[in-house]
Amino acid sequence: MRRYLFLSFISFLLIVFSTTVVNFVAIGNAIPDLLLMWIVYIAITQGQLTGTLFGFSIGLFVDVISGNDGMLGLSALCKSLAGFVAGYFYHENKIEITLSSSKFLFAVGTSALLHNALYFVIFLRGSDVGWWSAIVAYGIPSMLYTTALAVVPMSLFRRKYQ
Amino acid sequence: MRRFLDILSLFKEYLVLALCILISIALLSLNDTPQIRNIRAVAVVAVGFVQDALGFIPNYFSLRNENAILRERNVSLASEVSLLRDSRLENIRLRKLLELKERSELAYVAANIVGKNRQPMRSSVTIDAGENQGVRYNMPLVTDAGLAGRIVATAGEYAIGQLLLHKDFRASVVIERERVDCILAWEGGDYLLLKNVPRTAEIRIGDVIVTSGLSTIFPPGIKVGVIASVELHQGALFKDIRVLPAVDFSRLEEVFVVLHKPDSNRIALEQRVK
Repeated sequence: MRRYLFLSFISFLLIVFSTTVVNFVAIGNAIPDLLLMWIVYIAITQGQLTGTLFGFSIGLFVDVISGNDGMLGLSALCKSLAGFVAGYFYHENKIEITLSSSKFLFAVGTSALLHNALYFVIFLRGSDVGWWSAIVAYGIPSMLYTTALAVVPMSLFRRKYQ
Repeated sequence: MRRFLDILSLFKEYLVLALCILISIALLSLNDTPQIRNIRAVAVVAVGFVQDALGFIPNYFSLRNENAILRERNVSLASEVSLLRDSRLENIRLRKLLELKERSELAYVAANIVGKNRQPMRSSVTIDAGENQGVRYNMPLVTDAGLAGRIVATAGEYAIGQLLLHKDFRASVVIERERVDCILAWEGGDYLLLKNVPRTAEIRIGDVIVTSGLSTIFPPGIKVGVIASVELHQGALFKDIRVLPAVDFSRLEEVFVVLHKPDSNRIALEQRVK
């Protein structure tokens, strides 16, 4: 129980962090998704079920603080799916290996790509903007940036576990 | 029963995912109920409070940059002031001549941006002024440069503003020189788009776009941007016009909420006719 409270507290701090400081590291359309990285970490260390539930809760909170733009539930849907996909990288006896190897980057990249694709397909339905062009212009740069940034925690885990 | 529970346990990950998806889809279709508005108000206050506490971080990083911009702006404003003084005198004289009704002065509430929610194509900001300061849903957000967005959610001491760079943002605007009414939208990228501009309209690069009196949300005359490019495709009825926003959204730190309420009589009449 205490572990989940701790994860929830860190999640809250990261949500606030991602709306204040992360804007300063955005490069053009590419915005790193720290929350997604965190959800992947939770899924790898706690399992698919926890990853999905945390993905849903974090996404819902992000939707709530995004204002009334008719998209409440969008981030919750995308992030719970991202948590579920990242959960496939969970192996109880290989957590350290996964976190400190390129598997972690692969998990972040795959989840981010799926998350962004689903996000734009739903977000742009009924609009004049094509979802494919939005994925190319926003989704892929953000996915690459998030994956590149995941090298930092991966290196830290590598140093810690080796 | 036991067998059923075993099956549930075996597929619990899939069941939880399905449940999360179902709830998300239900929320996407429900959206703006009073209960959700209350939950949103509580969340905005909680996050806004912590964002406010962390506000010193962005200020520290951007202070040097801001100083340089302010010095530049000071020089250009000094020359503009002398020009405006002449224009004001001319304006007073002309108004008297035409006996125009004096436009009512708009009231503003100054606010700092305490959080920027930069989700792709869904930019919003959290400001440290809310219902207690008179901020209400749909009130316009402006800066000294021009229109920045509108309020989409409010709580006691905080509010959330939707920026122009949002796929759902629409505003009724007018091209100042030609007096052509059109709809302003954004479909990604650094530029805004003008829709429904007929091919016969004589539009030039550099023309200023302001909010029109047709809007029920925005008061007329707020600068929105300048025309950056005009394209006319063969056989098309309308021109493709890109507008450079007057506001630099990457440097947005303070905004003003215009305490502008739409004319309820006008809305009621328009709805009755519809």
